[in-house]
Amino acid sequence: MARMRNKARVPKHNKTVLGSLSRPMLFTWCMLAGLILLFAPQNFTNDLQFAFARLFRWPLTIGKNISLYTRARQPTTDTKFEREPQYRNYIANLEQELREKQRILEKLTKLRSRFYALENAGLIMADIMKYTLNGTQNELTINRGRDDGLAKGQFVLGDNSIIGTITDVSPRTSNVRLFTDPASKIAVRIGNLNVDSLMQGRGNDGAKVLLLPAKYKVSAGDKVMARKTPGFLDAPMIIGTVTSCKRDDQRPIIWDITVKPVCDIEKLKSVTVIIMNPQG
Amino acid sequence: MRWFRFVAFILIAAILQASLLNIIALPPLNIKPNILLIFLVFFAIHFNTTEAIITSFAIGFAADISIGAAMGSQTISYGLFGTALAYLHRVITIRSMPSQALAIFITGCLVGVLTHFLALLKGQSTISNIYTAILGIALYSAIIGPFFFLPAAWFMSIKTHRFGRH
Repeated sequence: MARMRNKARVPKHNKTVLGSLSRPMLFTWCMLAGLILLFAPQNFTNDLQFAFARLFRWPLTIGKNISLYTRARQPTTDTKFEREPQYRNYIANLEQELREKQRILEKLTKLRSRFYALENAGLIMADIMKYTLNGTQNELTINRGRDDGLAKGQFVLGDNSIIGTITDVSPRTSNVRLFTDPASKIAVRIGNLNVDSLMQGRGNDGAKVLLLPAKYKVSAGDKVMARKTPGFLDAPMIIGTVTSCKRDDQRPIIWDITVKPVCDIEKLKSVTVIIMNPQG
Repeated sequence: MRWFRFVAFILIAAILQASLLNIIALPPLNIKPNILLIFLVFFAIHFNTTEAIITSFAIGFAADISIGAAMGSQTISYGLFGTALAYLHRVITIRSMPSQALAIFITGCLVGVLTHFLALLKGQSTISNIYTAILGIALYSAIIGPFFFLPAAWFMSIKTHRFGRH
């Protein structure tokens, strides 16, 4: 009798018509669908979630904006907000650091894409800490060292041209000997000549190409390229230009060639070190 | 059961759950009530068993696409415990607000734990302090849940006092 009374209470619209499907079968089918969803590939299921987010982007955005606005208006009485200025400054410093890194990255990416020789090279940007430019010594001290992967003999670029090589490294700083330094000797090629020569610094913002026979055609304005050096430089790169070319006074069978840098070293603020076999 | 109305209702609930409910979220774990869980209990105790099974899985699916990380985990959890609650309702009346709150709390805990384990099974990591979050959400939902039943009943055009065990 009680059962009959209960049955009578069920409203008409509550009777769901599902054909011959029994409740256990319905439950089994739904559970099976759930399991398929659970073990379906992530790409497919992600698409469903993204579809929902895309389809209801407008109400979702409004709801989120309202909640953000409400939360922003809540009073900040919590003690952790007392340190807010510290966090704000910390974030400002981090943002500035990020901008600086992005600037460096952009510069290095451009440099790398410009020269195929640098495609597989590691490039480290360094700021110049000290200039030593006089008649007897032409050197730079930079703020990168052994900890950054720098090593003796690596080539250094300034304004997309070779300006010298690393001579001394400490954990945090390094010395760059410019090719104009009297102690510097770098193998070069002039213009289209297929002859290697040695270029030695003269200490007065210039260098001399040594012992190049006068039979080769050289003229002022020819480009001087640092020669390919396995392990340090994969392809020739410009190092300077010939400013004067005359027969040697004492040995007329060879040229007396003066080379000047193609960048104004004194105006450089940063340089790039080429690491041909970067570790890690 | 008015199925179109049900679909609209669940969509609205899913959108609210994913957006507007952040207003009443409690720091530090960002615990907010789960209105889909509340409506799972509502449909399980206000409709017949067959409809409760369908609505439970549908609400679980809505939870999966709106707030879920591991798809399918909430469909299964909501479906399983919604169905269990519907069957339980055939022998135990859940009419008073405290009993409704208790039903929401227990269902919330069970659904949360099962969802967590299914997400782990799928290889997805969950937040730290997961059990605190589950308890917090279940408790928060249980406290405010029964107050949602009346507007839900109005929206679905049902008279709550007419429903008993069936």
